[in-house]
Amino acid sequence: MTHLGELALALAAILAVYAICTSLLGALWRRERWIASGTQAAYAVFGCVTVAVVALLHALLTRDFNLEYVQAYSSSTLPLQYTVAALWGGQKGSLLFWTFIQTMFSAIVHWQNREKNRELMPYVTTTLMVVSLFFLGMLCFITPPFERLAFTPQEGSDLNPLLQNYWMTIHPPTLYLGYISASIPFAFAIAALATGKLGEVWICTTRRWALASWFFLSCGNLLGGRWAYEVLGWGGYWAWDPVENAAIMPWFTATAYLHSVMIQEKKNMLKVWNMVLVILTFALTIFGTFLTRSGVISSVHSFTQSGLGPYFMAFLVFLLIVSFGLLFYRLPDLKSDNELDSLMSREAAFLLNNWVLVGLAFATFWGTVFPIISEWVRGVKITVGPPFFNKVNGPLGILLLLLTGIGPVIAWRRASVKSLGRNFSISLIAGFSAGVLFFLFGYRNYYAVVIFSLAGFVLGTIFSEFYRGTRARQSMLHESSPQALGRLVSKNPRRYGGYIVHVAVVMMFVGIAGSSFFKIEKQISINTGESFEVGRYTLRYNGIKSSDSPHVSIQAAEVQVFVQGQQIDTMYPEKRHYKKQDQPTTEVAIRPTLLEDLYVVLGGYDAPSGLVTFQVFVNPLLSWLWIGGLVLILGTCVTMMPTPAERQERVLAQAPVARGNEVAE
Amino acid sequence: MPPWRLGLKIAFTLLALLIVLPVLPALAEPSTTQEVEEGLTCQCSCGLTVHSCNHLQCSFAVPRKQEIATAISAGKGKEEILASYMAQYGEKVLSSPTTTGFNLAAWITPFLALILGGVVVSLMSLRWSRQRAVKESQPPVVTEVAGEYRERLKKELSQFRE
Repeated sequence: MTHLGELALALAAILAVYAICTSLLGALWRRERWIASGTQAAYAVFGCVTVAVVALLHALLTRDFNLEYVQAYSSSTLPLQYTVAALWGGQKGSLLFWTFIQTMFSAIVHWQNREKNRELMPYVTTTLMVVSLFFLGMLCFITPPFERLAFTPQEGSDLNPLLQNYWMTIHPPTLYLGYISASIPFAFAIAALATGKLGEVWICTTRRWALASWFFLSCGNLLGGRWAYEVLGWGGYWAWDPVENAAIMPWFTATAYLHSVMIQEKKNMLKVWNMVLVILTFALTIFGTFLTRSGVISSVHSFTQSGLGPYFMAFLVFLLIVSFGLLFYRLPDLKSDNELDSLMSREAAFLLNNWVLVGLAFATFWGTVFPIISEWVRGVKITVGPPFFNKVNGPLGILLLLLTGIGPVIAWRRASVKSLGRNFSISLIAGFSAGVLFFLFGYRNYYAVVIFSLAGFVLGTIFSEFYRGTRARQSMLHESSPQALGRLVSKNPRRYGGYIVHVAVVMMFVGIAGSSFFKIEKQISINTGESFEVGRYTLRYNGIKSSDSPHVSIQAAEVQVFVQGQQIDTMYPEKRHYKKQDQPTTEVAIRPTLLEDLYVVLGGYDAPSGLVTFQVFVNPLLSWLWIGGLVLILGTCVTMMPTPAERQERVLAQAPVARGNEVAE
Repeated sequence: MPPWRLGLKIAFTLLALLIVLPVLPALAEPSTTQEVEEGLTCQCSCGLTVHSCNHLQCSFAVPRKQEIATAISAGKGKEEILASYMAQYGEKVLSSPTTTGFNLAAWITPFLALILGGVVVSLMSLRWSRQRAVKESQPPVVTEVAGEYRERLKKELSQFRE
């Protein structure tokens, strides 16, 4: 089976080369059959990579420890779900998995466009196949996943215990989906630049792909935060680690693109800028992969140091040269009627939003690479950690939150002072009230009060938008409130879905502010039967319960939780010992409520004395970060719904077929 | 100056003050152990600050936390404590770059880039809004072709009425 996998990868690489040649030459020499053959080859590449993935999965599931990858990342006692997750748990497997998704997306794009975009598609095929070929080249020549050992070990080394967590089974695939789907708008942008078809077509075709990329990047980052929160046991969820930064940078540029592309759609402006954002977003995903796999910057997330760095850097440079070279070549054709009716307009607000988002991306990039620059220039190793990013990105984040409240209310083209006063009155009252309310509840940190006030301001803006729209429908069309609200959203899903996403962003800001500024921490060593207090909670330790399996031994502490003398819960923080890797891990116990999380870590247990050490955190409002994530999913789904115009187009597209059938009958 | 521009300027000044003002009194406050611990990167390769490192037997973070608590109670300030650790372990022990020499570039560059970007965005916005204003102030251009179509329309309308 593994030989089949090896063969499939080699065949996929050959087919990718074939697809590139036939698509490109077919487009240049106008040979339709060559182009069609290139498309078929792109499907075949996906088929071959699928065979390779199935082969590696088969080897993992059948515990083929003669395979170096299986031996290094699994064991005979590893549970099934983590055995499957081991596919992306190591360097080689994750590259194969990446290639699998890349070629799958390529196949989907070819299927979606089988009867349209005939001029763009050969170049889309070429671009996607070049990206796939790079990864296939890595898999075939540099880091082959089907490498065999000289002997067959009895047992595998097991998957890193930190990865044996359910969030870890979905966090990397989600992030990969986000990274890789960014390649689709990029491929269409390159095709548009190559063909000179620089109109709206490529943007309309890739709108949902760009949204999907942004959505998966958002979810990937959130799931990664949740994984860190549950597994690493330090009470936080984001540490501005280089690999975390690598994941958030394309998110910033993708968010900027989703806003600025609206200006191009509405006013035919910012054509060059949108191209730049699409190129940057994809380049940053490759840069992130470079950071994770090169070992140039130390990170808890990175794979073991490998020799892949120079290849990724070379590929990144190649991508940037080709992309910006084409962009420069097409600059005269990208001239648009850049006109702003007024500086008080939504276009201007979106420009500000782009300025802040790209500023955030740059600040994060700069902080991430500065240790390398410092070492080059001065030969001195330095660290750029959370305090730097909090100080630099914090104020920009606050500015972004403010713009989130301003943008939606300002009219396109031109807003009058009168309309602004009318639109902002509710928002300003809501913002002021929220600030006062949180202050009265005891949240008295300056920045936190500013964030809470802005959160109220943004929510006020969005609420008034929904309210006004619903009221207008009710008065004009005599609809009931739920009916009017439902139709308001379905008639303009992009706008109102966007507002729902803004609500999600506000929730996340509230969660981040609450847990960052008002966290309570305590570390204590106690004996059985003793109690201690953290915040408003009293915790009583009742003893350790042990369990054992061939894979892992678990020690769980029983902790009763009281508030004002009433028991409200019993928590079981655990210390685990994974036998194959001989590595201890902590399994935190979390009691989440809308007001605060009680987070208990069993730090250590001294059996002879019976003394246990607990680290306890009270993280106010943190649940709102995760609830915000769920709302973000809802908002993005609404945004992706077809607009009335799109629904009409689909009906019209089906109409000739129906008429044709009638004639045939 | 139009009133909305004045309003915009006041709003931006207030916003800048909102962000900067709270930093000023904080400068005068005595350092806390948490502030100092967050200023140091743990050297146990956990990738966290000394404050956040949760390895109970961590050979770096645990002794440093005790030393920092002692130094704070002895009246030492954050900068003094951090300087002593930098002398001992090198710059890499600090969780963020110093604000001297080449390291200043780490702090300044993002804001310089942001200001530069802001200037570019402002200039382009102004230029684009002026272009629009100029276009609006000009009378509509009547071309030969337009005139020709107008004549034809007039003729056809008159025929239609007849």
